[in-house]
Amino acid sequence: MKQAGSSDIFSIKSRLRRLKRDTNRWSIFTLAIVLFIALPVIAIAVKLLEGPGETWWHLVDNLLADYIGNSFFLIFTCSFLVLIMGVGTAWLVARFEFPFRKQLEWLLILPLAIPSYIVAYAYAGVFDYGGSLELILRWLNLEFVRIDIMNKFGLAFVLSISLFPYVYVSSRAFFLNQAGNLLEASTMLGVGEFKSFFRLMLPLARPAIIAGLILVLMEVLNDYGAAQYFGVNTFTTGIFRAWFSLEEPETAVYLSALLIFIVFALILFEKWQRKNIQVTGNKASGRTHRKMGTKPMEWLKFFLVLIPVILGFFIPVGQLIYWAFLTAEKVFDLDFIMLSLQSFGIALITSLVTVLFATLLIYFAKWSSINGIKSISRLGILGYAIPGAVVAIGIMIPTLAFDKWFINTMDTVFGVKTGFLFNGTLVALVYAYSVRFLAVAYNPIESTALKVSNSIPDSSKMLGVGNFKTFLKIEFPLIKTGILSAVILVFIDVLKELPLTLILKPFHINTLAVKAFEYASDEMVMEAAIPSLFIIFTATIPVIFLNKLLIKE
Amino acid sequence: MKKTLVGLLALTLMFSCKNSEEKNKTSENEKQEVNVYTHRHYESDQELFEMFEEQTGITVNVINANADELIQKMSMEGEQSPADVLITVDAGRLERAKSSDLLQAVSSEILEETIPSHLKDADNHWFGLTKRARVIAYAKDRVDESELSTYEDLASDKWNDKLLIRSSGNIYNQSLMASIMVHNGEEEAKEWAEAVVENMARAPKGNDRDQVKAVVAGEGDLAIVNTYYIGKMLNSEDPEEVKAGEEVKLFFPNQEGRGTHINVSGAGVAKYAPNKENAIKFIEFLISEEAQKIFAHSNYEYPVNEAVTPAALLQEWGEFKEDTLNLSTLGENNKKAVMLFDEAGWK
Repeated sequence: MKQAGSSDIFSIKSRLRRLKRDTNRWSIFTLAIVLFIALPVIAIAVKLLEGPGETWWHLVDNLLADYIGNSFFLIFTCSFLVLIMGVGTAWLVARFEFPFRKQLEWLLILPLAIPSYIVAYAYAGVFDYGGSLELILRWLNLEFVRIDIMNKFGLAFVLSISLFPYVYVSSRAFFLNQAGNLLEASTMLGVGEFKSFFRLMLPLARPAIIAGLILVLMEVLNDYGAAQYFGVNTFTTGIFRAWFSLEEPETAVYLSALLIFIVFALILFEKWQRKNIQVTGNKASGRTHRKMGTKPMEWLKFFLVLIPVILGFFIPVGQLIYWAFLTAEKVFDLDFIMLSLQSFGIALITSLVTVLFATLLIYFAKWSSINGIKSISRLGILGYAIPGAVVAIGIMIPTLAFDKWFINTMDTVFGVKTGFLFNGTLVALVYAYSVRFLAVAYNPIESTALKVSNSIPDSSKMLGVGNFKTFLKIEFPLIKTGILSAVILVFIDVLKELPLTLILKPFHINTLAVKAFEYASDEMVMEAAIPSLFIIFTATIPVIFLNKLLIKE
Repeated sequence: MKKTLVGLLALTLMFSCKNSEEKNKTSENEKQEVNVYTHRHYESDQELFEMFEEQTGITVNVINANADELIQKMSMEGEQSPADVLITVDAGRLERAKSSDLLQAVSSEILEETIPSHLKDADNHWFGLTKRARVIAYAKDRVDESELSTYEDLASDKWNDKLLIRSSGNIYNQSLMASIMVHNGEEEAKEWAEAVVENMARAPKGNDRDQVKAVVAGEGDLAIVNTYYIGKMLNSEDPEEVKAGEEVKLFFPNQEGRGTHINVSGAGVAKYAPNKENAIKFIEFLISEEAQKIFAHSNYEYPVNEAVTPAALLQEWGEFKEDTLNLSTLGENNKKAVMLFDEAGWK
């Protein structure tokens, strides 16, 4: 007994010694960033300790089964649809030549530019009584068949077509830049197109595909606007109900915790499957050369790729443009241009800040020699799993505590009356966005960073060049595309973000998403069309930038 | 690429500087202002804020969000909250703000004399600005007015598969449920909700306007809606919505008894309002005749100021007897109402 005990102590001691030896400033920096980003999550976790509210059991009895059922239905249905559309289109545009391929390549990203709740409103407008479909059919003298899309199937459809580009972008990057040599080899060995796709490409692209899919699922679980409008009860609508209708933040926090648990499980699953298939270095590389086909086949591919573009972009945008024409006089004015520029500026600042955090987090963790640090660094991306409104509250808890302390100290010690340092300023807003969207920046940077083999930076370091310099001179140019995609994805997300902006935005500043929401929540869905179109327009520019960049490389 | 980025950054900085300059000016000249947290985001409100600024020289700063989020924000900000006025679209939320100790009593002769007592808080913590009634919109061709009578009657078997009403997450439904609870007791209210769920033509979804459209599309015969949505539909930019609005008629329930359920959008002065005087002036302005006219005519709400006549359309619907239950009680019973909804399976 005694011996066993002392050996335990010994092993703990040796472990501690090893920890001490390996601890360097990088691991400390990593922890600092993770702490900073996870602060709101921790603030909410502390609230968990207060126990659930008295309505918790009421909720478990009456609603929880529905929440779980619907949320899992959405997870599975959306995964299925998003994988087919995202991976399918990525493969077609990366592997084959067909008419308008170049245009379609960036058109496929555009559905991301439309907030999913706007897509939901637009589709409801299409299938509604007196909606566009009915008008068109009436004009064609055809009988009108009512299709009800305001249910969970419709919701899964709407979320999938507005989110599949996440999977498209991540898997296309893989197909374009890494699959070339292998494909050439397999073609030389006489392996057919189908077989080489399913047996070779799909397994290799899995990490990239799953990374995109995880983003989609987090967005799906997070959706409030569309689910609420379509009358589907999910965890997120439940969080809002518990918090605001049942007046119990404690119960809402418990629901959030359950939701975070589900997301955690998804992330662990992804990590586990990544471990099984490691794709690094030169195992997979080389650009894919596109194959030409016969003319009819080329047009078939064109139409296949066009379908998700039409569903995810042209139909909702068409509906919005129709509404915009009806309401332009009422809504459009100079303020609108100012509003767009403000939105644009906020989104740009935030995306740069968030990408900086993500890059630092990834590289600090890499430079630290402690194994556990890398897993800890992934904690930083948890914010994406938490509904925007909850993140906002999570941000307010610590920053308000600081602000109040600051005001009191300034008053009592220096006799100066001051205002809030963080709350109601852009700082709090940008902080909250960074917490919420770190995952969006983290994934594309990490997946390009994984591709950079360690040997070059290692030799640079052996020659006595510091981590930072090595990064700037060698790694940064190699992961530039990943960083730029990260900037663009965060930019678009911030532009669309709603609940968090509503709570934290400063006086005098407004965003397009807030404006669109103001209209939509007053049942003036048509009037929301112009601000929505401005979001789409503003988000389209960087998408085209991104694509140009990818082509140049 | 670099140049563009730099350009954009410069532009952004310009904007943020402009904003901070504005702020600095404010503190230097002691410019008068009032900070408004509001759930109302109608065009008419913007117009009113500008009118107030012109008349008084007091700048109106606005934050728009859901009342729930605004209340949460105010309670977290505590004593340092910049909020002067809280405006919501229902009495329930104002009552919640009051019970969370976020509002303060205000003494203003103008407010007390102009607003009828059941439309304001007994302790003067909040005041109604506009009224809306929750009524039945029915299909002109399929339902005869004589078949309609009360909210309670909606539970009767004759409406099986005919009823269209939105989800229980909506505050207007919660307030209606709370009023039924107060008048008839919990037990009966729950039975009522269960029967209404049975009578629904489809699972609850969409907003009030969608319920009316569903009636016109033939999915059901009766829709429960707030009055001003009908006004807005009839004046919509979309010809199809106008048509839908014309296909239904309105019925004001419970005219023989307690009167039709109404709610108000209202305002209260924040407990820690840094500009209390301006806040009172602001609310007084909102119930002045000229402001109430704008509320009534552009947004189809009933004015609380009885000196102002409602919009022509509302006059066409005729006068009606309103439930004079003090609206504070709705807020007090809101949570219980939501729980009854859940138990009754009202999604």
